[in-house]
Amino acid sequence: METIGLNHFLVVSAILFSLGIYSVVTRKNAIMVLMGIELILNSANINFVAFSKYGNYGLGGQVTALFVIILAAAEAAIALAIVLNLYKTFTHINIDEIDELNS
Amino acid sequence: MDFSSLYDSLALIKPEIIISVTLVLIVVLDLIYDKNKKLVPYLALLGLIVSGIYILSDIANEGFAFKMSATSNKFGLLALDSFGSYFKLLIILTSVLIVFFAKHSVEIENTGKRQGEFYTLLFGMILGMMFMVSASDLIMIYVSMELLSFSSYVLAGFIKLRDRNSEASLKYIIFGGVASGVMLFGISLIYGLTGTTNLYSINAALQSGNINLIVLGFSLLLIVAGIGYKISAVPFHFWTPDVYEGAPISITAFLSVASKAAGFAILIRFIKTAFVTNVDGSGNWLLVPVFDWKTLISVFAILTMTLGNFAALWQDNLKRMLAYSSIAHAGYLLLGVVVFSQIGIEAILIYFAIYMLMNLGSFYIVMLIADKTGSEDIHDYSGLGYVTPFLGVSFAVFLVSLTGLPPTAGFIGKLYLFIALIDAKMTTLAVIAVLNSVVSLYYYIRVLKHMFLTKPNGEVKEIKLSTANVVYVIVLLIPVLVLGIYFSPLVNFAESCLAFLSF
Amino acid sequence: MLTEFGKIFVFILLAGGFVAIALVAASLIRPKRPTKEKLKTYECGEDPVGSPWVRFNIRFYVVALIFIIFDVEVVMLFPWALVYKNFGVYGFIVGAIFLLVLFLGMAYEWRKGDLEWARPKIEPPKMDIKFKPEIAPRPVEEKTVSEVE
Repeated sequence: METIGLNHFLVVSAILFSLGIYSVVTRKNAIMVLMGIELILNSANINFVAFSKYGNYGLGGQVTALFVIILAAAEAAIALAIVLNLYKTFTHINIDEIDELNS
Repeated sequence: MDFSSLYDSLALIKPEIIISVTLVLIVVLDLIYDKNKKLVPYLALLGLIVSGIYILSDIANEGFAFKMSATSNKFGLLALDSFGSYFKLLIILTSVLIVFFAKHSVEIENTGKRQGEFYTLLFGMILGMMFMVSASDLIMIYVSMELLSFSSYVLAGFIKLRDRNSEASLKYIIFGGVASGVMLFGISLIYGLTGTTNLYSINAALQSGNINLIVLGFSLLLIVAGIGYKISAVPFHFWTPDVYEGAPISITAFLSVASKAAGFAILIRFIKTAFVTNVDGSGNWLLVPVFDWKTLISVFAILTMTLGNFAALWQDNLKRMLAYSSIAHAGYLLLGVVVFSQIGIEAILIYFAIYMLMNLGSFYIVMLIADKTGSEDIHDYSGLGYVTPFLGVSFAVFLVSLTGLPPTAGFIGKLYLFIALIDAKMTTLAVIAVLNSVVSLYYYIRVLKHMFLTKPNGEVKEIKLSTANVVYVIVLLIPVLVLGIYFSPLVNFAESCLAFLSF
Repeated sequence: MLTEFGKIFVFILLAGGFVAIALVAASLIRPKRPTKEKLKTYECGEDPVGSPWVRFNIRFYVVALIFIIFDVEVVMLFPWALVYKNFGVYGFIVGAIFLLVLFLGMAYEWRKGDLEWARPKIEPPKMDIKFKPEIAPRPVEEKTVSEVE
């Protein structure tokens, strides 16, 4: 009987990581890019919790995951505020068309 | 419970505690005086100076703070040593200069009631950097790096008047978010491989063997990407020109000096603590053979220097030009890492102190001119050298120093880097670096050519300087000139600050 | 013998099947007499006005941002609450400092006016005296008042 082990978690997290990178690279909407970043952070979180559970490394990994959750929320709040500021100046949030600074 | 180790830890991080308390006090002051923000910079200065005094007085006080557990594991989240103290002093000094910088800046002055927030966020950055330079645990590195990043994301878009501010902060947060996410993924893999996030325990685990070096190399690359983003090394530099151009100029100056210093401190500590198995008699490091360290960092260094210098050639915007020049300087500084020896680290410490003075000086003069003429374009600098000779001459000194020509301090910085390279028999790299300096001469001199030799289109207005402006420039100018001739105190101090906490 | 994934698969099948069967059975049994009133969007008995895709006031957004931060900070309090008893006064002080900083953030928002639901000020209608700047405002006012009367 196959039990769900460390490998399954690692595969899920690798898939999430790739999806996150993919959405960062391909999406044009700033919000979608930020969601990709959240996916990357969460994939790392899955790794931490899985390693700490299956590797018998103590609770360090799970505590780390808590920290990451908080930092991710803070990052999301700041990023959304910046996107809002951007919307006020450009009236859209399509990051492909925001290139005032390319000289 | 026995809390003595916790109290010991708190005693070790007095400078950081003072910075945090100052941050809180600034918020309170900001809340009490809604209209009048004149007191805030002085409070910030007070906090910085007290913190600096504590760093200086505790420079010999070494130890691990916040140990994992009192008995089983003697390594903590923070390693307080003289190497970290040197960088902390550098950061505090830069911050003091930046507080004056921001006080003189019209951009910041115009934000009116929001100045309190400016200093609060500035202190967030300082706190993040101070924890960063002494962090000896991957999680601590990540958290402090994010503390630094979050504050700087907001500060990059602090002035909402122009489009380019919000664009700068958006680009910054997207690149920064991806870089830190990727770095966190690398950290999680290292945690899985070694069962710990503490750099010292990682070193022990690596020396015991049975670690898959391919996976380790992959996760290391991810972490190097995160740190490389902070020091804007080349494959991860895309944000630098845009953010440096779009951010308020005091923040640009701060990012280019202090943030880069913290990034280099963490890079060096990461490599030194986690991967150095032994230091031989002449101070060379023996590294865990994950991959060819020297080649990897050399490639980064060469790419960073070359791209930074060549891209700077075409820039008309002074801020953007200085941004590329700071990328190039990150490349020179990476040369000090490449040699993997105590001499290289000493060269980096010396270079950073000098780089801080000359870079802040150039940014300050760009700010003075931009505040009066409203332009950072090189063509608007025509004839300024004759109208305000003081600015012209001091800008010339800073730029010559950035190029690295004698008799300025920049020459001494480069000299020590090249000596370290030649000591390690890496002459090719040294030659490439010298050639790069020659390229950099072109675009620095181009600015001076515009200031002194180009005929202006219309009449050039004189730039009126207040006494404070002149004093500030002179305060930066004198060390740049003096350190070019009499540099032994700096070298001796850097030499005494090479100690890393070992096992 | 089922693997663990097999169990999850069976669980998903059962859950989906249950919903499908319930809906199909209900649609077979129930009477079907649609009227205009019944087909309307349900908004607590009110008649729906306009499209639901309206722009929300920006202040909802600010409140949501503030909420995210404070909501997630609570995560820090859970581990603290679990071990708080072991640490006695020291643990209490540490937690108190954390909450104090949070409180400072709250005070900051309050003072900066981000928590105020500032309504747009309704300007009381005034007589327009811009066109006659030479005439002192007082007589004009009196005159207009008398005219209105």
